[in-house]
Amino acid sequence: MSHWNTFERDLEKDVKKLIKSVSGLQDENDVNFQLALKFTWSNFRFHRFLDVNSHKVQNTVDGIHEKLVVHSDMVKAETWKRITTEFLNSPLLSDGKTKTELHYSILSLLLFLSDSPSNSSYTERPRLKEPDSENYFDWGKYLLEGEEIILGPYPDTPVWSEDDDEVEEDSEPLSREDSGIQVDRTPLDDHDQAKRAVQVSWKVGEPDARTWLEQHVVTQYWTAKSSRFSHSLHLHSNLINVWEQHLYNIDPLYTPEEKVFVSETQVIRETLWLLSGVKKLFIFQVHDGKITVRNDVVVTHLTNNCLRSVLEHIAAYGQAVLRLQTFIDDVTGYSIECSLPVVHNGAKKASEPPFRTYQAFVWALYKYFSSFKQELTNIERCIIAKDETITLSAVLERLTPHLAQLKVLHKVFCTGVAEVPPDTPNVVRASHLLNTLYKAIIEYDSIGEASEQAVALLFLLWVETVRPYLEIVDEWIVHGNLFDPAKEFIIQRNKDVPVNHRDFWYATYTLYSVSETVENDEKLSDTASGSSASDQAASAASKQHTMVSFLKPVLKQIIMAGKSMQLLKNLENKESTQEQLSLRDAERKSLYTLFLESVQSRLRFGEESPTDIVTEQQATKRSLIKMQSIVARHLELDDVNDPLLAINFARLYLEQNDFHEKFTGEDIVFDRSSESVTCQTFELTLRSCLYPHIEKRYFECCGNLMQTLKKDYRLTEYLQAMRNYFLLEAGDTMYDFYTAIFDKVFEKESWQQLSFLSVQLQEAVGQRYPEDSTRLSVFLENVDPSKKKQPINNLDGLTLSYKVPWPVDIVISSECQKIYNQVFLLLLQIKWAKYSLDTLRFSELSAAVRRNEGGLFDQESAKEPIKQQIHRMFLLRVKLMHFVNSLHNYIMTRILHSTGLEFQHQVEEAKDLDQLIKIHYRYLSTIHDRCLLREKVSFVKDAIMKVLNLVLMFSSRWQAGFGAWKIESIDKMESDFKNCHMFLVTILNKAVCRGSFPHLESLALSLMAGFEQC
Amino acid sequence: MASVAPNLSAVRETMDVLLEISRLLNSGLDMESLSICVRLCEQGINPEALSSVIKELRKASDSLKTSENVGS
Repeated sequence: MSHWNTFERDLEKDVKKLIKSVSGLQDENDVNFQLALKFTWSNFRFHRFLDVNSHKVQNTVDGIHEKLVVHSDMVKAETWKRITTEFLNSPLLSDGKTKTELHYSILSLLLFLSDSPSNSSYTERPRLKEPDSENYFDWGKYLLEGEEIILGPYPDTPVWSEDDDEVEEDSEPLSREDSGIQVDRTPLDDHDQAKRAVQVSWKVGEPDARTWLEQHVVTQYWTAKSSRFSHSLHLHSNLINVWEQHLYNIDPLYTPEEKVFVSETQVIRETLWLLSGVKKLFIFQVHDGKITVRNDVVVTHLTNNCLRSVLEHIAAYGQAVLRLQTFIDDVTGYSIECSLPVVHNGAKKASEPPFRTYQAFVWALYKYFSSFKQELTNIERCIIAKDETITLSAVLERLTPHLAQLKVLHKVFCTGVAEVPPDTPNVVRASHLLNTLYKAIIEYDSIGEASEQAVALLFLLWVETVRPYLEIVDEWIVHGNLFDPAKEFIIQRNKDVPVNHRDFWYATYTLYSVSETVENDEKLSDTASGSSASDQAASAASKQHTMVSFLKPVLKQIIMAGKSMQLLKNLENKESTQEQLSLRDAERKSLYTLFLESVQSRLRFGEESPTDIVTEQQATKRSLIKMQSIVARHLELDDVNDPLLAINFARLYLEQNDFHEKFTGEDIVFDRSSESVTCQTFELTLRSCLYPHIEKRYFECCGNLMQTLKKDYRLTEYLQAMRNYFLLEAGDTMYDFYTAIFDKVFEKESWQQLSFLSVQLQEAVGQRYPEDSTRLSVFLENVDPSKKKQPINNLDGLTLSYKVPWPVDIVISSECQKIYNQVFLLLLQIKWAKYSLDTLRFSELSAAVRRNEGGLFDQESAKEPIKQQIHRMFLLRVKLMHFVNSLHNYIMTRILHSTGLEFQHQVEEAKDLDQLIKIHYRYLSTIHDRCLLREKVSFVKDAIMKVLNLVLMFSSRWQAGFGAWKIESIDKMESDFKNCHMFLVTILNKAVCRGSFPHLESLALSLMAGFEQC
Repeated sequence: MASVAPNLSAVRETMDVLLEISRLLNSGLDMESLSICVRLCEQGINPEALSSVIKELRKASDSLKTSENVGS
């Protein structure tokens, strides 16, 4: 619109006025208004009409005259003729020209709009000749006269009559002349008119009664018929008239609007009422929840625009009050409605449980408003008492701090409550509100002293609003019961997971809108199954925002403590009696109380301990002396020795500290909020007042849980059992099991029978660990046959399973057992290779040689002497043995044993269950990594597998006896082994040199030693 | 100001005459809307366009009012 010139702006203004006047729509932002505006513009701009033809218009005018004559409406016809001629011959613009195109235009417009003039009854109104010159003259005279007259009897001040007389004004009708200028009247000259205006029929029996009424009853300025009251005729209190006069003089088309005159006192009182939440007012009007200022209200001593701008300023605050008030009504009304169905628990769908965070917020708002209203009432009382002069600006001045607070409140309300989309789940609303408050406090806090009031107010709000949250946390971490019927807490219980379920630890609670870091740490399921799509969108858009930031530093502790407590409660259920618990509970202070007490004591920081109950004066004196000595010491440090300065300093400090009296009252929260001390270090306050309580509770809960798990549920023993069987730490037991399998393989019998395997396992375990024999079982998984090409893969699919009882299965999950099984398989493969090499006997080979001496001797001897070949077999066997033993040693001692020791140590020190689970996972992933089972180093594992395979082939050939295979295969085996060995040595050396895998060093060294001897 | 005043009064008189014409024709315009119309015509708006706009606006606001009444 910047390219518009003034002409177009004027046009736009006029068009808007036209729409307002014709359609009656006053609000420019109204959709209908905008539509009308668009329609009008499109008509003006894009519809084409013929230009006005003066002849045509003249013809039509004549036609109408004729028509009227035909209707034998002679009077009308005559009038028509006369006034049209008169109109065309009078100037329409100030340039004085007649019969211009404009004349015809406006005439044709009227003709277009005309609605059967012949049918309507019309009587010409007598027009006053030259009313303007009269009025013009009248005004100047009137103003002069008014001043002169009034200065005589009341020479004091022009303000006097305004402020003191208004309540007891005479009620008079607003008299108006056609010209639109009202004439001021003195209060005494029209008693009769007053009766008409007020529409109350009273008997003016005695003048005394009437005077009394006039003095004690407020004019009904709100009734449709506007009334006039008398006021000073001093120039200052007639600014509006002067201004109107001026407007009238400069603009010929100026039409004065209907106006309702009110007094400033009335305006002040309406303002006070507006701010205290009254909706039915005269000056301020509520349209669809919006407060607008009446257009036609004026006071005599201000221009319309001036008053309007002041009132609109007030209306903005009134709007804030109204919105907050509506919100308060909504929430409280809602809870009242709800209370009935809640009593009988049947109808839960019809009524939702109360949303406690909003209720607490409303309670805080309500507290604020009651103090605010008290102030308003005080002002009103002053007005009624009429002891002092009260002007609108004085009232505004007095209310300034309150209005600033109101602004802050409204801002917080808008961002925290009003802007939340209506179908947002409670959890997002609650956390958003708390976050908004929290952020607002920090924001205002950073400004410093300038916003002390705001911070104090917000702190009060926050402390109140946070109460339900803290109560939920308290209930959860003390009783293990997450009581949150309205689903407002950021953590919610998934109902379908029972406590004594394996998934309890992970799947029971849903943390809403967590920030990324927490999510990763906790591995919590953020499935948000109950949350709608809008929640997802909202949380995605402002993930950080929806997270309740004040709980963030202790969120992990809360979750841990809560879950631990619930688990613990469930474990202890059978043992401890309820009575004991409730007894203990009675003595306990809730988290919120503890928090309040801490905040309170923090504010008293610097004051002496409250133990010495001496008189106030003594205390002050003593602290003064104490402070003085401290200050003096400080001064001495700076080489200043001035006792007077020290005393003064001490007094200064004391003055800041003497607010402790304020805390003796009941309503500690309210008092504290007015202290700036708290607010300057809001985050510090939280850190020192809230977090320690939560952390203390966390240590208690989790310590208890760890203790219970370790002691009563033998957690460590189960972990040991896992290592015993899966990691073969119970060497003798597992030896019995796996050698039975290996022997079967040697004998070329099928070992892949579940019954056989189970019997072997039970025999082996049952002897030494009878209690575990029922828990441990063996399974054969179907493995893709294409993967079983190599003999070493023969063992694939053999898995152990250990039934871990609840609640230990939270730690040792089935996922963990999978990793255990992977390591188990690797160990079994190494053991197999080692076993098959160990069991080879030299005699077998030499016996075979002897057996075959006859047939093969001739052919073989041609190439190589047979003894040399056997020797080569021996050498290869030893090399292979060295390799396998190095690997075996490395894994069994260097990796499994030492990592196991570290793990045991960590388990002892674990603080909470989550940490324990993490330690266990870390342990598993470490051994998984170090056993080279990771995908990334699979090439190393492949090489090792190749060697192990070689070993198995070698042993089977050895056992088959000399001559059952060709001598080239020994060459092949030798070269294969050499290649693999070299490859491994190079790879491992590289890794060791880089220093990234220090644990590999021993393996690399021993392999290298074997390689050098080749 | 003094030189302008006679002109102003003349114009005001004309406006009064115009109001009479308007009343006689039963056009339904009061003084305020009449002066707005004069201003608009002065700014070059075609009277036919203006009249159609006024009629439409009246019709629309009437239907709006009746619907409000029915609604309430």
